[in-house]
Amino acid sequence: MIRIQDVVRNYHAGETVVKALKGVSLEITDGEFLSIAGPSGSGKTTLLNLIGCIDALDGGEIVIDETPVSKMDKKAKTEFRRNNLGFVFQTYNLIPVLTAYENVSFVLSILNVPEKEIEERTMGILKEVGLQGMEHRRPDRLSGGQQQRIAIARALVKNPKIVLADEPTANLDSKTGEEILKLMQSMNEKYHTTFIFSTHDSMVMDYARRLVSLHDGQVIDDQRR
Amino acid sequence: MKFLILLACKNLSRYKRRTIITSSVIAVGLMMFLIVDSLLVGIDRESVRNLRWYETSSVRIMHGDYWEDRMLLPLDVAIEDPDTMVGMLEDAGYRATERIMFSAEMILYGDYFGEAGNLPVQVTAVDPTRDNGVFKFADTLIEGRFAEPGSNELVMGSWMAEDIGAEVGYWVTLVTRGNGGFFEAMDMQITGIVNCPNPNVNRSLLMVPIDTIRDYLAMEGLATEIDIALPELADIEEEKEKIAALVSEWESTITIMGWDEMASDYLAAIEAEQNMSMILLFLVFLIAAVGISNTMIMVINERIRELGMLRALGMKDGDIHVLFLLEAAGIGLLGSIIGTVLGIALNFYLVGHGIDYGFLMREMDLAYRIQSIFRGAWNLRGILITFISGVVLSVVVAWFPTKRATSKDIPSCLRHQ
Repeated sequence: MIRIQDVVRNYHAGETVVKALKGVSLEITDGEFLSIAGPSGSGKTTLLNLIGCIDALDGGEIVIDETPVSKMDKKAKTEFRRNNLGFVFQTYNLIPVLTAYENVSFVLSILNVPEKEIEERTMGILKEVGLQGMEHRRPDRLSGGQQQRIAIARALVKNPKIVLADEPTANLDSKTGEEILKLMQSMNEKYHTTFIFSTHDSMVMDYARRLVSLHDGQVIDDQRR
Repeated sequence: MKFLILLACKNLSRYKRRTIITSSVIAVGLMMFLIVDSLLVGIDRESVRNLRWYETSSVRIMHGDYWEDRMLLPLDVAIEDPDTMVGMLEDAGYRATERIMFSAEMILYGDYFGEAGNLPVQVTAVDPTRDNGVFKFADTLIEGRFAEPGSNELVMGSWMAEDIGAEVGYWVTLVTRGNGGFFEAMDMQITGIVNCPNPNVNRSLLMVPIDTIRDYLAMEGLATEIDIALPELADIEEEKEKIAALVSEWESTITIMGWDEMASDYLAAIEAEQNMSMILLFLVFLIAAVGISNTMIMVINERIRELGMLRALGMKDGDIHVLFLLEAAGIGLLGSIIGTVLGIALNFYLVGHGIDYGFLMREMDLAYRIQSIFRGAWNLRGILITFISGVVLSVVVAWFPTKRATSKDIPSCLRHQ
């Protein structure tokens, strides 16, 4: 369960204060497949960053499974992210010098998982995302869709509680984007992992089972389907 | 750690050109350092050897007041009964010889030299039967022969002979004041010319028989110094103590000095010259350091989004530091290997053949006691330190850009274009 309570986030550009989030409150239950929608500058990415413990809020509170993550120090946040969160980025953010296998397996290395288990879990998740036989390819020899599949595998391989995806289909054509969404949906159903993704694409919104709309840093709509 | 090493190695091999260029900068710096260090060590060792072999010997016994007035070359401040002292030293297994140093005016005759003239000189009166046992002039004779005992014969340094146009068989007159202040003029025939590896000696040496000089200058039973040769690795201080015990009956009138005390001016000048060389080398290293630092800044800037991703996925800042420091160490290691191999290869030439600076040493007095060829020397400790320095330097200069990389917040890293 994620409880977001009156979250405020301001950015400072010189003397100008940009209010990115103006008191957002939200409750997200385990296993949800939730989309945060809104135009550019509405605060989608800021909200994802705050839930993902990679940004600090200026007011309010975020509690994940009874843990007030917004009050944690930098070191504790790093550990929390390492153990509980998976990330999927718009530009995939794969390490170009590593193979598909290495791009996924290093997440488990960071967690000090035994070598044999790393191999089993990595090969297993790569198979599930449809990349069997491509383990030794580097990202530059894979399509955008395949790269995003690696990113999803990387996010899921450590069995996180929550996967945060910032505009995961924005760099893909509509057909590939749909495939990625279906993959995320199936993973959500199979592993009961909470998926929270931001988008401004209506096709992506259609896949969400819950759609939270933001505008100017405030929640303007919250629909369950 | 295994992942960090894997990633560092892959990054280094992926960006080959950058890795090689930066490593080359380090390699050139280290290679230059090794070459200059080798030459400095080689020059130092050879200079010290030539100093001991042709100028100072290893240890010298003088009258207690002589060293203070040495520039005046006084004859009245001399060791008494030097023959007995030399005999005692020889009985104890030392190679020792007595000498008298004095200043004179050397008169050159137009009949021999084409033009008459005179020049101030410093003359060394030696015991022809013992001197070559302490100093190494035996193999340096390039013309004629050494002076016979009791003769009016003179041996001259090759550069001085060349400068004044002297040849074997020519006569000169030495005018000086004897012990007691009287004037004395001595006609001497040049019988030999020596050329040794010590430029100072070639430039100024005039060697005459000590017994002849004793007669002329009223120095019977006196010598201004007794020189003693010791093995190269002998402990000078320890030997001085042993010698002092042997000649204890002269204790109140003599002083015993090691070559390093006598050559303290030379050693200070050499140290200053070597410090200067080290400053130049430091600048070379500084350039290499800027190169590495610049490369690391570029590397970090290019991969700032990757850094953001790694941190978002829970990699510790410390591990990210380690990752970049490993890459810097890899560049440093490669540069150190190339630089050391090149330096060692070039050093084989320097040690075997050396560089001929004869043209410079003939015209200038650089304080070094080397006549022409500057040879390198093997300094294994120096090579090891240089090798390690290359790696350590790379890591140290990469530290600050690396530290900066993790000071940026994660969302900014992820937004970085």
